[in-house]
Amino acid sequence: MSDATLHGAQPRPSLLVADPRTRKRNAAEARFRAYGLGAIVISMVMLVILLFTILTGGLGAFRQTYLEIPVTLDAAQLDKTGNRDPADLRKVLTLTYGKILQQSLEQAIADKGIAIADLSAKDVSNLISKEASAQLRNRVLADPELIGQTVEARVLVNGRVDGYYKGRVSMESAARDANTSPAQLQLADALKAQGMLATQWNWSFLTSPDASDQRPEAAGVGIAILGSLYMMLVVLVLAVPIGVAASIYLEEFAPRNRWTDIIEVNISNLAAVPSIVFGILGLAAFINFAGLPQSAPIVGGLVLTLMTLPTIIIATRAALKAVPPSIRDAALGVGASRMQSVFHHVLPLAMPGILTGTIIGLAQALGETAPLLLIGMVAFVKNFPSAPPDGLFEPASALPVQVYNWTQRADPAFIERASGAIIVLLVFLLCMNLLAILLRRKFERRW
Amino acid sequence: MNDMRLLERSVDQTEIKISARDVQVWYGEKHAIKDVNVDLLDKTVTAFIGPSGCGKSTFLRCLNRMNDTIDISRVEGKITLDGEDIYDRRVDPVQLRARVGMVFQKPNPFPKSIYDNVAYGPRIHGLARNRAELDEIVEKSLRGAALWNEVKDRLSDPGTGLSGGQQQRLCIARAVATQPEVLLMDEPCSALDPIATSQIEELIDQLRAEFSVVIVTHSMQQAARVSQKTAFFHLGNLVEYGNTDDIFTNPRDPRTESYISGRIG
Repeated sequence: MSDATLHGAQPRPSLLVADPRTRKRNAAEARFRAYGLGAIVISMVMLVILLFTILTGGLGAFRQTYLEIPVTLDAAQLDKTGNRDPADLRKVLTLTYGKILQQSLEQAIADKGIAIADLSAKDVSNLISKEASAQLRNRVLADPELIGQTVEARVLVNGRVDGYYKGRVSMESAARDANTSPAQLQLADALKAQGMLATQWNWSFLTSPDASDQRPEAAGVGIAILGSLYMMLVVLVLAVPIGVAASIYLEEFAPRNRWTDIIEVNISNLAAVPSIVFGILGLAAFINFAGLPQSAPIVGGLVLTLMTLPTIIIATRAALKAVPPSIRDAALGVGASRMQSVFHHVLPLAMPGILTGTIIGLAQALGETAPLLLIGMVAFVKNFPSAPPDGLFEPASALPVQVYNWTQRADPAFIERASGAIIVLLVFLLCMNLLAILLRRKFERRW
Repeated sequence: MNDMRLLERSVDQTEIKISARDVQVWYGEKHAIKDVNVDLLDKTVTAFIGPSGCGKSTFLRCLNRMNDTIDISRVEGKITLDGEDIYDRRVDPVQLRARVGMVFQKPNPFPKSIYDNVAYGPRIHGLARNRAELDEIVEKSLRGAALWNEVKDRLSDPGTGLSGGQQQRLCIARAVATQPEVLLMDEPCSALDPIATSQIEELIDQLRAEFSVVIVTHSMQQAARVSQKTAFFHLGNLVEYGNTDDIFTNPRDPRTESYISGRIG
């Protein structure tokens, strides 16, 4: 048999033993898998570290220490004329309210019989936040009938005392601190023992405006959230229709020639332009040339629109490209016009991709800081902008800028606030991504 | 095989539906169709055969101006439908395609319900005044495509959930629903199994009663089975056009003979 002579010379290798070549290939595959697994593990570890730092540092911002004491609103001090005239009431400054709070606190301490051994009057009054007197004044101005009564007030305490209950400040650090003292902390402990001082859930972090350097305990992200929402509104209204329309035109209608090629390359390049460049463009075009106000969400929204457009266009075009051409042929074949074939068949199929791209673009815009710095959104804003459309032209802040702003400040309490703001930002981003997933699920169709 | 049928078949129609004169098609620099002259008859099945890349699909797509959707393609010459030049500047290709329907190589139902697939054409062309009329068109079209009995209980199911052969018949029903005069079929059976293929072929034979059908096919047996007229394309030229039985039994051109006897292809 010729077969026998052909194969007989060499013994058949056994299948039970891997030959050297196979062993080498298997080793390479095992190595590659190990690299991949390693990459995943490293990124997961980084994610956990990130979340851990932000959560441990930032969750404190959602809790705040308050002092609950009866406050006697002395008519003699607050309304000398006695006729409750709002104009006169406004002339009474926070300084006076500060004194009233101090007196009330001293009274409360005396009532409860807490010994204030080596505590100076300054230590006692400093226990109360500087913001507390302003809050009390606002409360009285809103309701002048309160004057002359003794009301229960929830009073913000100083950031150091607040930090003491969040583990940021200790007796040792207080001894070296000019803004607090161990005696003050002991007083706070005594008040806490009496149930007058407690750390509670802090809604005002989400609703109140930013506060000055000296009052981290009062700072909140209210205006920043509102400003970010206004900007997202502008981006949504402008970037989505423009972006989707541009992509549909480029993908479905435009002739393929040198001009469209140039446009295509430029759109891809724009997506890679550093965002701060868009800030300079916004400053030049919208503020200096068009004369729009600084720090306004409309300008921020316009700049972010410019920045988001390439992302949306690229994502939308990819989604449109992914729709099989047979669907277009089918529609054209039964006599649909180009536009009918796009809007009846192609667009619905591309919808999940378009939505995902759009929401990713919006999320990117939501987290963008650099261009906003250049158009003045970094300003200190104390007054809430009004409702849109007017509010779009009034100064506001933005979440990422607020984070940046707070990390620049000296008081460590602001680090906590910044981390808190990051948590708020992350929650928003998470919600947007969740929305993207849900919408994709809803619109996804197979063909 | 029912190949014997072709001997019994006669072409009884003489009315010209589509007429092409000196048609040239370029794809960029490539001269894809050269000097094609052909008269396609009404109520007749015409088969375009030829080796791959010979231009038969390209020529088919000229007949309802589907080539317009390809930027680099350029068509010269004259193609008339009932005596009217379809490449005239005043002709709207959308209107033309409503009269010259098309079925593609791969079944491509819309990712919608079976009903909506068929109803789409009548809807956009305003062929039905109300729901009842639309229902009627859908039923008639599905019956015409020999699909009604299989899908009448699940008209709201997605068209993409049908089998390949059913999908292709759905596409035929969709094309028929716009009440075209000519039905172009670009290798309608190439993605189907033999049973589905024979169903479609039977269907094509029935469709001949109402439409002029032009079918591009790779399979010579199929051309022989379904068509009355056959055109043989080779390298962009229309080599031979005539009655199907003549082409298959007595080809005049040596290239046709080589192709049908399997020497080129």
